[in-house]
Amino acid sequence: MAATALVLAAVLLGAGCTDAPAVKRVFAMDTYMSLKVYDGNGLSEAGAYIERLDGLLSATDEESEISALMNSKGAPVKVSEETFDLLSRALELSETLGDSFELTLRPVSKAWGFTTGKYRIPADEELSGLLELVDDGRVELDETEKTVTLPEGMMLDLGAVAKGYAADGAAKILKEHGTKAGLLDLGSSTILAFGSKPDGSKWKIALRNSTSAESFVGTIELDEGAVSTSGGYERCFYGEDGETYWHIIDPETGRPARTGVSSVTVVTESALYGDALSTALFVMGPDEAELLWRERGDFEYLMILEDGRLLISAGLDGIFAPHGSFEQAEKDVIR
Amino acid sequence: MKTRSWIAVFAAAFIVFAGLALLLPRIGRGTVANVYRENERIWSVDLSKVEEPFEVTFDDGEGHVNIVEVEPGRIRVREANCPDGVCVKTGWISRGVTPIVCMPAKLVIRIDSGGDTEGFDAVTGGAG
Repeated sequence: MAATALVLAAVLLGAGCTDAPAVKRVFAMDTYMSLKVYDGNGLSEAGAYIERLDGLLSATDEESEISALMNSKGAPVKVSEETFDLLSRALELSETLGDSFELTLRPVSKAWGFTTGKYRIPADEELSGLLELVDDGRVELDETEKTVTLPEGMMLDLGAVAKGYAADGAAKILKEHGTKAGLLDLGSSTILAFGSKPDGSKWKIALRNSTSAESFVGTIELDEGAVSTSGGYERCFYGEDGETYWHIIDPETGRPARTGVSSVTVVTESALYGDALSTALFVMGPDEAELLWRERGDFEYLMILEDGRLLISAGLDGIFAPHGSFEQAEKDVIR
Repeated sequence: MKTRSWIAVFAAAFIVFAGLALLLPRIGRGTVANVYRENERIWSVDLSKVEEPFEVTFDDGEGHVNIVEVEPGRIRVREANCPDGVCVKTGWISRGVTPIVCMPAKLVIRIDSGGDTEGFDAVTGGAG
């Protein structure tokens, strides 16, 4: 009887302590990531997977497969399953998203200094020359040999999609290990939430529209899903002409995409798709984005415009709550 | 002792220990900001106990320098020699939702306990 009471006490005491999530923090893909799981397993495997992907895909790591491709002088290079898989999916997405999404923009980003931090404004002639190296349609994949051929002089940069791909893969690993719920924060541009928190409440994702830490403009409440954001303010510099130049480049012009958009947030099922979309929609601008949303029907999005207006698709409108001064912002709901 | 008395003793003990288990983690914590280098905690400050502003310089000996400023209830990186200055652009943090991250220095400042997170699970946007 006494023993039963003791065991019961121990169990009840312990029960109050299992609601806290386990968190793993990783530096990878040029960002700081937090992998949070509730009542789960597989955290170290998921972390190892992300670090492995980083090693394969980093454009700045000389040992990576992407670097091997860029040094291949146009010869086919055999790559790992993961690299091949990501490249096939990314190229497919690039085809779907057309001129607004490109995987071979690195020569142009480099010319602007976005890869080094030594910012400059390239001349028109320089940009036209570099644009001849931009066309991911010329990247060849051999399904049987698992080789990739990148024409000489061209460069691949998977920065826009690697985190999304990593998030999807990490979530799969966690689920395979029995994790019921988790939130993967791969550096705030890419977030993936799955399952339900122990208290049953929805995932609450705060949205920022500037680099300033606590300047929240709204909240998204999700059951599950991937949230991706692309903002011009994330990486930009000020030219002598007083203009702001940001890292989201229009593949057609080789210049920062200027479509009146300050930032785009996409909510969808796959983080890879969301990542690609958030970049593409920024480049497309409001009108084309709206057309794509109607055509595809498989994502929701919001755009914060430079003039302060908020464009938000109907599905997202229901789960987005504006904060602070943003409550007064003019809102257009896309239906 | 009779069975009933034993039950009473264990019930009382259970209530006391359960109460302690729930309360102890919260007693004497304040709002603690932790500074990490490569995910190892190297410095801490209880922001709720800060009365006068002060600065701390973090130098990893490999050329990365971050000057951290602490004020009552908040902390920021005031100056840094990293190329992008993202850690400086992040500004002040006073809550546990957003960390300040300097990638080149592998330096992270987080408010891990006591800071009100407003129930947010994550933040989207704001960083490259």
